[in-house]
Amino acid sequence: MKGFGGGAFTDPDDVFSNVLDLDAELVLTSRIPFGARVSWLALRHLRLFVVEEDAPRLTFISLPSGRLFISFSLIDDPAPFWNGIRLHRGDLVLHLPGDRFHQRTAGPARWGLISIKPRDLAAYGRALLGRDIAPSVAMVLRPSVRNSAKLLGLHVQASRLAATRPKLLARREVRRALEQELIHALVMALATGESVTPEAWRRRAEIMGRFEDALAMHDRTQPLPMLCTGIDVPPRTLRSHCAACLGCSPIAYARLRRLNSARLTLLKADSAVTSVAEVARSYGFSEAGRFAVAYRTLFGESPQASLLRAHPISAESA
Amino acid sequence: MPRSRVFSFADPDAYQEKVRASQAAILTLDRGEFRAALTQIDLDRIWMQWGFDNLPRIARTTIDPERAVLMFIADSEQASSQLGGGELRGDNIAVFGRGSTNIVRTEGGSRWASLSLTHADLAEAGEAIVGQAITCPSETYLVRRPPELLARLRTLHAQAVLLARSAPEMLAAPAVAKALEHALKHAMITALSGAAEVDRRWLPGQHARIVNRFHEFLESRPDEPVYLAEICAAIGASERTLRTCCQEILGVGPVRYLWLRRMYLTRRALLHSDVSTATVTEIATTHGFWELGRFSVEYRGLFGESPSTSLRRPILPVEDKKTA
Repeated sequence: MKGFGGGAFTDPDDVFSNVLDLDAELVLTSRIPFGARVSWLALRHLRLFVVEEDAPRLTFISLPSGRLFISFSLIDDPAPFWNGIRLHRGDLVLHLPGDRFHQRTAGPARWGLISIKPRDLAAYGRALLGRDIAPSVAMVLRPSVRNSAKLLGLHVQASRLAATRPKLLARREVRRALEQELIHALVMALATGESVTPEAWRRRAEIMGRFEDALAMHDRTQPLPMLCTGIDVPPRTLRSHCAACLGCSPIAYARLRRLNSARLTLLKADSAVTSVAEVARSYGFSEAGRFAVAYRTLFGESPQASLLRAHPISAESA
Repeated sequence: MPRSRVFSFADPDAYQEKVRASQAAILTLDRGEFRAALTQIDLDRIWMQWGFDNLPRIARTTIDPERAVLMFIADSEQASSQLGGGELRGDNIAVFGRGSTNIVRTEGGSRWASLSLTHADLAEAGEAIVGQAITCPSETYLVRRPPELLARLRTLHAQAVLLARSAPEMLAAPAVAKALEHALKHAMITALSGAAEVDRRWLPGQHARIVNRFHEFLESRPDEPVYLAEICAAIGASERTLRTCCQEILGVGPVRYLWLRRMYLTRRALLHSDVSTATVTEIATTHGFWELGRFSVEYRGLFGESPSTSLRRPILPVEDKKTA
């Protein structure tokens, strides 16, 4: 990834791993295929992204250690959810290095992401405010309308320049001016933001992390009681947490997750050597017929059709 | 040999080049066409300046450490100016600290007058006229005097300026210059002596010291854009502290001031660049302006012409700092 730019992507991996540099488990929840336009800008201390997505999705994200992240929705409707908390335009989610969380979108999404090293944020906080603003726990902050509008406006402008005005951004002084304005706006927004984080979210996020770990360990879906015993959570609790974070039951999510994995495998496989039944089995669907029906219902095409597409993803990203 | 000079300006930079202070920086704060006039008269011992400028502005000047400098408002009816966070009123004389740096801010059209002597000449004049040496302290202070004492000094100053503009040859006549100097010295010492018993307000306070650190940092990067977080970190003052101090002394917040300074740096660069080799985009972006449409509008608002007009003007020679 260059220092700045923009592009359109159809492979979620390109967006989350290559551009955003995050570890993300992405689950599509409708027939709308994944499509995203991303612009990015890496400055001396700040990295900025604007992501515009077509398809609703559930995503479990693991942040790298070493950087703080600030994410925010650029639209109010449909609202995205962070760990089951509805985000309004202007809310800032402050993520600590290494945090893991669920992001849910219910339709097209447009959101921004900023990252900075904790010690840089601390230094700017001390310079501008005379105190530390480095947080010790993730939270949703609601700054004043003026402060958040200032930050979001600058963020969008900067990202637009990144995608459309490479010559301008090639100038050191332009990057410096932008970064300094952004840092000022960011520190003011964080410092004046009021936490609107419900009490219960930390415990919930921790359980949901264990739930994801359990799903990642098993190829086929375990029955709910066994799953719950494995992660030491009462079924009722898990059901209510899943409803809040994912909008569906634990078993439905596990199934969605496997269908999405199967789809990625089919889209990347070679039809000469791989069969649909084989892929279905490897994700725990023992009956190919039922798999095909579920697959078509979710994605709007048969698994065979996905397999026969001539490696569209690798062709595009090549 | 007494001499006098009369100037007029349409550009704050040219004005600041000519104002006599070892260092002067003038920023106008309002849109509008800038107009300024300056008269300088050098008698045998006393040097005088009279200035007029038409827009709200901030001037930061450093006093020549060799000389004792007084300043007052030339038109006693005029609105007060701000000096280092204190109010400089019609009945005040500012006595500048030896080698001190001072910020004067005006709210609009302003007429000001200044006088200077070497420290030795000031002491000697004090001994001769009131029997006590008058010395300049290290920090600037304001003296408030009964109007009639100041009126004498103001009238003499104004008469000298009138002569310099309408009949400079008379001022050059040694007898006239000598009589004028004698009268001025007398009025000046009378206005200053005994001031210990009346309102003597010392400047600068803590806020002015912070604003001085702010300016020192800017001066260490004379041609470079500077942004708020950098300067807060460098001088160890938070955004809120700096905002309070700048508002009080400069009349504008630090972000606005830093923006104005960048506008002035850009203008200077445009006026000193060759239209055949430089572009407005290049110069504006070098100074951190990345929204070029907005920059043009704001530039025109502040300086009354478009950036490309400034660039097309004949290149200004780089002037030597005044040596007079």
